[in-house]
Amino acid sequence: MNFAGLAIALPFVAAALLGLVGKPRQGAIGNAVASLALFGLTLAVFWGHSEGLVAVDPLAALFGTVAGFVGLTAALVNIGYVSADAVRMPARRWRLYHTLFQIVLGASLLGLYADNIGVLWAAMEGGTIAMTLGVSLYRTPTGLEAAWKYFILGGVGIGLALFGTMLVYLAAQPALGPGFAAMSFRALSAHAAHMDGALLTLAFVFILFGYGTKAALVPLHGWLPDSYAEGPAPLTTALSGLLINVALLAILRFRHLLVANQDAMRPGPFLLSLGLASLFLAAFSFSRRRDARRFFGFSSIEQSGISAFAFGIGGPAAIFGGLLHMVLHTLLKSGLFLALIRAASLRGPAAPGNYGFSHMRGLLQANRKIGWLLAGCIFALSGLPPSGLFASEFIIISQTIQKNPYMSLPLGLGLLLCAVAILRNIGPLLFAQAPHEKPKPAGRSAWLIAAHLALVFLVAFAMPLPLVHLLSHAAEALQ
Amino acid sequence: MSLTFSLAHLLGGIILLCAFLQLSQRRLAAMITLYQMEALVLAAAAFWQGFAQHEINLYLTGIITFALKAVLLPWGLREIVLRFNMVRAVETALPMAVSMILGLALIGIAVLVVLPTTMSSISLTREDLAIALSVVLLGLLLMIVRRNALAQIIGFLSMENGLVLAAIGMPGMPFVAEFSVALLVLLAFLVVGVFLLRIREHFDTLDLSGLEKIERRGR
Repeated sequence: MNFAGLAIALPFVAAALLGLVGKPRQGAIGNAVASLALFGLTLAVFWGHSEGLVAVDPLAALFGTVAGFVGLTAALVNIGYVSADAVRMPARRWRLYHTLFQIVLGASLLGLYADNIGVLWAAMEGGTIAMTLGVSLYRTPTGLEAAWKYFILGGVGIGLALFGTMLVYLAAQPALGPGFAAMSFRALSAHAAHMDGALLTLAFVFILFGYGTKAALVPLHGWLPDSYAEGPAPLTTALSGLLINVALLAILRFRHLLVANQDAMRPGPFLLSLGLASLFLAAFSFSRRRDARRFFGFSSIEQSGISAFAFGIGGPAAIFGGLLHMVLHTLLKSGLFLALIRAASLRGPAAPGNYGFSHMRGLLQANRKIGWLLAGCIFALSGLPPSGLFASEFIIISQTIQKNPYMSLPLGLGLLLCAVAILRNIGPLLFAQAPHEKPKPAGRSAWLIAAHLALVFLVAFAMPLPLVHLLSHAAEALQ
Repeated sequence: MSLTFSLAHLLGGIILLCAFLQLSQRRLAAMITLYQMEALVLAAAAFWQGFAQHEINLYLTGIITFALKAVLLPWGLREIVLRFNMVRAVETALPMAVSMILGLALIGIAVLVVLPTTMSSISLTREDLAIALSVVLLGLLLMIVRRNALAQIIGFLSMENGLVLAAIGMPGMPFVAEFSVALLVLLAFLVVGVFLLRIREHFDTLDLSGLEKIERRGR
């Protein structure tokens, strides 16, 4: 059965319904029910069969399931968020919010499952528009500023990506001729050797900068920290990692076309330099960030840079590491943001602007469980063992030493700087003296955060055999 | 040289000229008029390509381009100019002469990059692609050198015209009409966004140099 088509259609149907009826809380519950159904469908995609514009390979199915899981947990935490914050916006705006929630989910899935490069582009474009509306939802001046940045940078990225898409089509003409075949990833990678190499190189530059904007690679990252910090937390922070994954996977797939073509330029140096630039920009931007969501937005730039670096190194093992890093980072980062939402709501409303480190310090006095969970997430983000990110970063570093030893020095330095900057925040966040307050209950979301953390640990250190096979086959096919 | 080639190149050249002239205009009204001309010629180019390639999709693209980009969007932009009382000069971040020299350099780069890489493609696509890339780059430049939100939007719109010009020149490419609709949705959101979000209400002007609260607050 074509579960992929169902999984893509469901969020858009749910978006239409949630946009028309319901009070804020009802909308949040409906949103969670839809996300639960969606998670089931993304699991079913593994056993489904699909052809044509949307043809799912196992790698896309895996990332689809990750997206479904993140969407589900974000939707569950979202119920509490909306109930506590319902008065801040009129009911109609909350309906729009839930519509956007589902559209972002649907666009991410469409982008992941798409086999046609035109459909992939359309999915990115839809996701961009939805996220822009999401960022500007609170209508604060800073929110509008962030939305404007997102729209201009994202729009330019989308434009460049379309130009790149058309150039890929043109490059495929000698091999595949006019028509749909020249826009299908499967056909393209099967015939990559016969494509026009020079044109393919030009196309990749546009693709890299176009989708690189959406993946927040430096120097096109400017929108990310602001839009993370200014939008409604469950939508712009927990979910936006999904669109980054879509963009990174697209870059990986296009990169494969270049590698398989003899005449095209090697994509490695492009990806390595953008990856390292992202890593170092993040490392030096961590200091003096007062808003936690902006801070961890820079960390998303860092992680996206690490994955791009791994793709630049190339070879099955490095790409395996890069893909694993993407999966783990998505799970960890959304768990971290869920913990942040809960932590902020211990100190009052969880609206944008209430995520300052100084606002949340001394969390242990407010709630021990949430405090330790948040600390666990932050620690795991630094990539020290036993965090799952350690495993993926270890693979990437060891591959770098084998294939391109000189590159391992800046990579190691960047990782170290980032880890130190991230770890520095744990102390004040947990142990600082806070104004005297009564401990508050942790709420059920603690279980969800713990589930995210446990998954990050399990996937890396007790990886199920099917997952190993899936990732290594995918990495081999895309090396 | 058949008539197909020469006419397609002529239309492409006029589009490029319009895009370049936008760099030299200080006033929003003049920029909007140039954009309107650009969109009109683009619609004509789409019709011509549809006729030459016998593609019904391209006629559709032409109709959409004409109705929305050559008529509706300029009308909306003029309405914004009137409502926000921005009839007078536009602030620029760079002197006009410098931005025009940069524009010339970008056109040179586009031609030098595209022509050698597309030796195997048919000549119509090659030169059309060079023109389209120039228009895209000029649109990006326009977005960089202007501080006014509306001028940036016009730059974006012009860039997007370049994309559509590239798309209609591709032999038998699927989804051309769909692409232009999807891009239009993006554009419509931009224009409507300025209108509805009432940036002016929050920031007093559409001058984006005032839009730096986050910077000042020290993030």
